[in-house]
Amino acid sequence: MSASSARFSHLARRLLQRSHTRRFLPAGRGAGRTVSTLTAGPDRLGHSFHTSGTRVDRMTQRTWLIACRAAVLLAVLAGTAAAGPREQAKRMHDRLAGVPPSDAVLTAMQADIAANRPLDAAYIAMANPSFYNVTLKNFVAPWTNRDRSVFVPLNDYIATVVGMIHEDVPFNTVLSADILYVGAPSLGLPPYSASNNDHYAQMEARGLDLMTGLQRTTQSSLTGLPPAATAGVMTTRAAAEAFFVAGTNRAMFRFTLLNYMCNDLEQVMDTSLPPDRIRQDVSRSPGGDSRLFLNNCIGCHSGMDPMAQAFAYYNFDEASGRIEYTPGQVQPKYFHNDANFPFGFRTPDDSWDNYWREGQNSFLGWDESLPGSGNGAKSLGVELASSDAFASCQVKKVFRAVCLRPPEDAADRAQVSQMASLFESGGYNMRQTFARAAVYCMGQ
Amino acid sequence: MTIAKGCAVSAAVLAAAFLAACGGGAGTTENPVTVVTPPSGYNGPAPKTDDVQSFKLNLWDNVQASNRCGGCHTDGVGQLPLFARHDDVNLAYEAANTVVNLTQPSDSRLVAKVGEGHNCWLSDPQACADIMTTWIEGWAGAQATGGRQIVLEAPVEKEPGQSRNFANASQADFAALLHGPILSEYCSGCHASDAATPQQPYFADPDLSVAYEAAQSKIDLDVPADSRFVVKLGVEQHNCWENDCVSAASEMQAAIQAFADTVPLTAVDPALVVSDALRLVDGIVAAGGNRYEAAQIALWEFKTGQGTTAFDTSGVEPAIDLTFSGDVQWFGGWGITINDGKAQGSTTASSKLHDLIRATGEYSIEAWVIPANVTQEMARIVSYSAGQDARNFTLQQTLYDYQFRNRSTETGLNGDPALSTPSADEVLQATLQHVVATYSPVDGRRIYVNGALVTAADPVPGGSLVDWQDTFALVLGNEADSQGLWAGTLRLVAIHNRALTPEQVLQNFDVGVGEKFFLLFGIEDVIGVPTAYILFEVARFDTYGYLFTNPHFITLDGTQQPEGIPLRGLRIGVNGTEVDVGQAYANLDVTLSASQFGDLGQPLSALGAVIPLEKGPDGDEFFLTFDRLGDATYVRSEDPPLAVTLSDLPPAPRFGVRTFDEINATLAAVTTVDPEQPDVDATFQSLRQSLPAVESPSGFLASHQVAIAQLAIEYCNALVEDPGLATAYFPGFDFNQPPATAFAGTNRDLVIEPLLDRVMGIGVMTQPDYPVVRDELGYVQSDGTRPDNLIDRLIAGGNADTRGIVKGVCAAAAGSAVSTFQ
Repeated sequence: MSASSARFSHLARRLLQRSHTRRFLPAGRGAGRTVSTLTAGPDRLGHSFHTSGTRVDRMTQRTWLIACRAAVLLAVLAGTAAAGPREQAKRMHDRLAGVPPSDAVLTAMQADIAANRPLDAAYIAMANPSFYNVTLKNFVAPWTNRDRSVFVPLNDYIATVVGMIHEDVPFNTVLSADILYVGAPSLGLPPYSASNNDHYAQMEARGLDLMTGLQRTTQSSLTGLPPAATAGVMTTRAAAEAFFVAGTNRAMFRFTLLNYMCNDLEQVMDTSLPPDRIRQDVSRSPGGDSRLFLNNCIGCHSGMDPMAQAFAYYNFDEASGRIEYTPGQVQPKYFHNDANFPFGFRTPDDSWDNYWREGQNSFLGWDESLPGSGNGAKSLGVELASSDAFASCQVKKVFRAVCLRPPEDAADRAQVSQMASLFESGGYNMRQTFARAAVYCMGQ
Repeated sequence: MTIAKGCAVSAAVLAAAFLAACGGGAGTTENPVTVVTPPSGYNGPAPKTDDVQSFKLNLWDNVQASNRCGGCHTDGVGQLPLFARHDDVNLAYEAANTVVNLTQPSDSRLVAKVGEGHNCWLSDPQACADIMTTWIEGWAGAQATGGRQIVLEAPVEKEPGQSRNFANASQADFAALLHGPILSEYCSGCHASDAATPQQPYFADPDLSVAYEAAQSKIDLDVPADSRFVVKLGVEQHNCWENDCVSAASEMQAAIQAFADTVPLTAVDPALVVSDALRLVDGIVAAGGNRYEAAQIALWEFKTGQGTTAFDTSGVEPAIDLTFSGDVQWFGGWGITINDGKAQGSTTASSKLHDLIRATGEYSIEAWVIPANVTQEMARIVSYSAGQDARNFTLQQTLYDYQFRNRSTETGLNGDPALSTPSADEVLQATLQHVVATYSPVDGRRIYVNGALVTAADPVPGGSLVDWQDTFALVLGNEADSQGLWAGTLRLVAIHNRALTPEQVLQNFDVGVGEKFFLLFGIEDVIGVPTAYILFEVARFDTYGYLFTNPHFITLDGTQQPEGIPLRGLRIGVNGTEVDVGQAYANLDVTLSASQFGDLGQPLSALGAVIPLEKGPDGDEFFLTFDRLGDATYVRSEDPPLAVTLSDLPPAPRFGVRTFDEINATLAAVTTVDPEQPDVDATFQSLRQSLPAVESPSGFLASHQVAIAQLAIEYCNALVEDPGLATAYFPGFDFNQPPATAFAGTNRDLVIEPLLDRVMGIGVMTQPDYPVVRDELGYVQSDGTRPDNLIDRLIAGGNADTRGIVKGVCAAAAGSAVSTFQ
């Protein structure tokens, strides 16, 4: 232990001793009020402290309270010390797997780091099932719903991303591939259904391991979508339920932009682009004021609408609970409120164009080898996932997940830039990216 | 009394105003006539034909009175033409034919005269013109309903004029006069790419070129006060500095003015391929068709544009002229915007609705509306009522629904229950909509929106309107007692005393609202085809913009049959510069060809373009530009990519909190308890969303720690209560001894050591010192004294058994930051 950390611990202990005297007086006002609150029943979040009869039977409230207090005080003891290989290994494991390592694992990782093989150490950490069951699951969950909530059940979207990362499937196919991960037949799960989420909900409820329990298949073999109509996670049931339901299908574009390009529409507003593909439902004079349209609405819709046209044949049928695909027939939702501006664009098919290839949003780094237009969601997914912004976004998300902060200075930005280059040139390998981020942050 | 005598007497008695009238002066004399002298005294020859009869009923009866045209244009006074003569309606008919245009009633000489203010009997000559038009349309009848031939006449050839534009502005001046002192100072907290929460446009960006590019659309160099920057502060009160929007707007305007003064007036970029230029008023009035108005008994088109009165121009007496009160503004391109007020007619005039509708037992309320929002409820759009509790009818808004209340013998005094459009369909939108509410005893109530019937069958059976009251007032935008404000814009309101049929509703919807013009942009000089034009239908869209629609290529000389002329990239220019927003035809790529000529030439696009208004319809000069037209081309430079300047963020903590699933998995790992153990799993599921959801330490709350402790205790309980797990975890520790024995001496190390090895890890220097933590949990000094520690305090409490104390020690360690921080 270093001198500074020893001093910290000493001071902390003295502080704690004083605190004990003050805080643990049974008759203290603060303690009394706390006890009263804690034993009165459900707390303000509605959670009862009596969730387990067994525990309550065997443990007095006072014991519980003192233990709780002690836990809080122990938190103060967390010290700082120079991070050697063992400490770096500990942090790396914490960040990747989300759980502390066993002594044996920690020692093995320490050895790799000491031998200047930190990536190997990261791979040891990622061999812990919690990397998949905890870290990756919660890494992906917010992408699968409009609230961006992490508190959603396991679904085919999450499972597919987790499976792709586990098997090092090039991640630039995440928006275009005919791919799906389901639970292995040996697990005894209800079969995958395009109409409900039971398969994945049970997998989660039974605590089954995503690292070993997922099996790769194709959407087209299970969902009824033609292979050409599949578009990676965008055409999973969960994504359809979240982003193709009702509305105008713009949600699928916006959330894809948000989740995979790390830009919301405000960041890509460009009012100078032609509004010729903005649909009829967008009022050109909201509330009687065309300035709102010309200064705001047009900035997002001019680029979004010609790309969201790729989803013209998709819908989520709430009655049947499954994705609906109507090749050659534009979904009625594309004509909702078409009297709002009859001189707007009327969608004839699912052809899309990327207007952001020109002008200010060319900074997103579009792939010059692609045409920038096409038909359907699959080719749009290729367009988006081939951009520099896509690669950079995945790296930033991983950096944020592993380092617990965004890139904040020149060194971080250089690291992200380098990782993005390696991500693009190295087959879009997400596990490698996690490992690189963990190595970068392990000593901080 | 003869007419001659009447005029003489009038001349003698009524003083100068009337003399002026007889003399044909053009001055406007306000003389609000609400009742026309009935033509009951006509004793001349009967109308010879049906057309004469139609003339008499629709026009002559309305103009023959002495307080209208009959004061002068009669046989008695002799002011030619004698279209209001009283002696012989057939002769009046002949005279009237010389001053009317039955094909296009609005082009009639009679309309033009009163429109110029010639003895208009209202304060607004436009209202008189509209009423006269209505009367002539009534006479024309079927002749006027079949549409008309639009005669396109070549406009005067004119080059696009000069204006200030950014092409000749200096970025340095922008930096010195606007960006530095104002934008960077006050707006960079958001409108800069390096802001904490960057908001486009980045006009306050530290990169001057980025800021300059973004600021241009917010600056009006010709009229600085109209700049978006100024309006945003002064009107919309958007983040005014020093909490003084007036001063902030004034400061901004002064800075823009100073900047504008540095910009010289410039001509159109000579490299551009341009058409001739036109103003809106140089265009040809485009009638999109004729409204169905056969049963129209009240009409407000809100054309006046000033004052506080909206005239009923239906031509049906008495006119229900509406008086504004509260915050009611005129809307550019005809209309009124009700912010916080109402437009109300008198009860006397409003009684015509009672009289004429009760006579038929059916009616329609028609309106072109722009709801300001979709959040207002019970907001009266058109109401003929006395207050909250009594009405004849009301058209109102509630959220996304139009609602229609009609009093009949089958409803209560208040016209309830209201008929509503289906809420799920959200048919009401905060945009221009045509809404018609009809009532008839047979079909009950119906609501049409944008030409389509949107309501289901009326659940209330049709009844009689016999109970209607004639003491109510017609009110727009509010309730009579001002307790039902509707915020929004009305561009036209009409009342009919018949239930319009679906076809008639659609007809009126198709006609649209507002004035439209055909603008012919000459391109003869560019493509070398005589009389070649690009034709646009242009309308004032709202207070702030124009709408360009239906572009056609046309040659006025029918012998010109051009073929195969490429046209690519059409843009609209205003006041010498291309508009930088809303260019809906920028991607147009067509070949001009006479073989595709229709009525108005070759249609080029079905799209419409909304173009911002700058100086107003009288001042804005439009022209077209082309990337390619025939052999002429313009090479357009592409906007550069956005250059995002990244700046450093404040250093964030290098550590974080484990989140919910991580905590669960961590506790499972350090206690060796299966997380699927039923009690553990149940507790976790109930606590899941009470545990930390984000890693940020700043988001860690006391309630999180409580939840962590609860979960830790559940895990520790499962561990201790499972004999197999407990024995393996705490080898050698005797749970069956009383606490004093079980924890005596170094026995307690049998509990503490296995726990800390797993919770803290072994030899991890970033964790707290092992002895320190151990001491907190159960320290025993060599001399037998025991400083304050958890185990001894639990023993001293006297009511915890051995297992309970182990659980407490376990929970204190596992639920602490040494395991929950990462």
